[in-house]
Amino acid sequence: MRLRLFTLLFLTTLIFIAAAQTTSAQALDISSGGLPTITGAVGGSVTGSANVQNDLVVTINFGEVSPVNSNTVVKVVVPIALRSNQPYQVTVSMSGLTNANSEALQASDVGFGLQNPRLLGGAGQLCTQSTHVVRSPFNNDPALTASVGANGRVSYQSSLGNLSSSTVILSGPELSKNNSIKRQQSDGWVFDAVFALTPQFFASGVSSATLIFTISPGPNVPC
Amino acid sequence: MPRLTKSLLLTIVLVVSAITCFGQSTTGTVSMSATVSKFVEINSGGAVTLTGNSGGGVTTDGVANSPLAVSINLGELGPSNTNSFVTAQVPLKLRSNAGYVLSMTATVTSSGTTANRIGAADVGFGLGTVSRTGTGVNTTGTDTNATSGDPTLAANGAVNGTSGRYEFTAVRSNLNAFSSATTALNGSFIMNAVPRSNANGLTVPAFFAIKPQFFENGTTTISVTFTVTAP
Repeated sequence: MRLRLFTLLFLTTLIFIAAAQTTSAQALDISSGGLPTITGAVGGSVTGSANVQNDLVVTINFGEVSPVNSNTVVKVVVPIALRSNQPYQVTVSMSGLTNANSEALQASDVGFGLQNPRLLGGAGQLCTQSTHVVRSPFNNDPALTASVGANGRVSYQSSLGNLSSSTVILSGPELSKNNSIKRQQSDGWVFDAVFALTPQFFASGVSSATLIFTISPGPNVPC
Repeated sequence: MPRLTKSLLLTIVLVVSAITCFGQSTTGTVSMSATVSKFVEINSGGAVTLTGNSGGGVTTDGVANSPLAVSINLGELGPSNTNSFVTAQVPLKLRSNAGYVLSMTATVTSSGTTANRIGAADVGFGLGTVSRTGTGVNTTGTDTNATSGDPTLAANGAVNGTSGRYEFTAVRSNLNAFSSATTALNGSFIMNAVPRSNANGLTVPAFFAIKPQFFENGTTTISVTFTVTAP
């Protein structure tokens, strides 16, 4: 009798969990937006999922960025899919890349921008009363905005140096038409996170950083 | 089907369903890394200057920022050349993102067969003033010149009072000191974090000098290889 009661309670709990997930499905979601790409690298690579239903887990290896790499720039494009049934915002936080030597790779040496917003299939929400806003200064392709400063070092319109502990880079109205219980192939928007790193006479060493993209409820704008 | 089995199956279905519903996330992660290896390079620092020559000339001149591949005909080195020295000044340009060592190896071969032929000790050598200037150059870096500078300076050579032969006597002032790879210059990193397209760098002239004398007649070939490394 006690076993039966326990079983009933356990099953009820599972049903509530499933139901809760169903009703809150797709409130806010971030995932892979497609296969990331890399160009201009020597010994570099980028890994991620081509499936937009998979989590956003991308590993970028810029490879050699000393003058051994004679390419103008190493550019990485990471498509990011976003889904929501409410206004949203995307923040980015960064850890790592804290070289004490100013001639070593710094956060400001890695250009970072957001480009190419596009619908993720037919169920992406196309709002008419407000737009998706890439926050300043991130609305650019850093590979195109790179310039040489007075000190001879390359700088970008926006870079990882513009990221504080949690920086809003994007916000806008709801992204999805439907309210599916799980990620669909075509129910949101995709944005390209673009990274650019110009090979230079950096002090030698290996540098690394981790970016965490987070989607959360954003400013209340109409659709 | 027993009730227990039914319950078990239902439980599994619900667990899988619940897990599936958790397949959304509000965060994503991008991890990145980059490697900067030590980098050094040597190029020509510009055109060669040849002085005091009788005949001869610069066969293949240096072109700034191009690979160093210079060929010089020093001309007549016998007493018919009445100049004090035949001197070739070869500008070098070094760039690095790390401490560097410039070493040199020289070989001198002559068609002569006696001790009066031109030998490595008869070819004066030295590195001149080191210059770290221009945007993107580590101007506060320091360098150590292991040679004695311009070999034609009075302090760097003299006529041997016994043999009468002119000798380059200062430290590493002739090619005899470079019969095997020997450090000529070393210093701290040269370039700040700037692209390779930045054409600036460390420049230093390499002086080669021969005092025209009653050498044994014949032809002489001098071959010098500069190598820069980042230990």
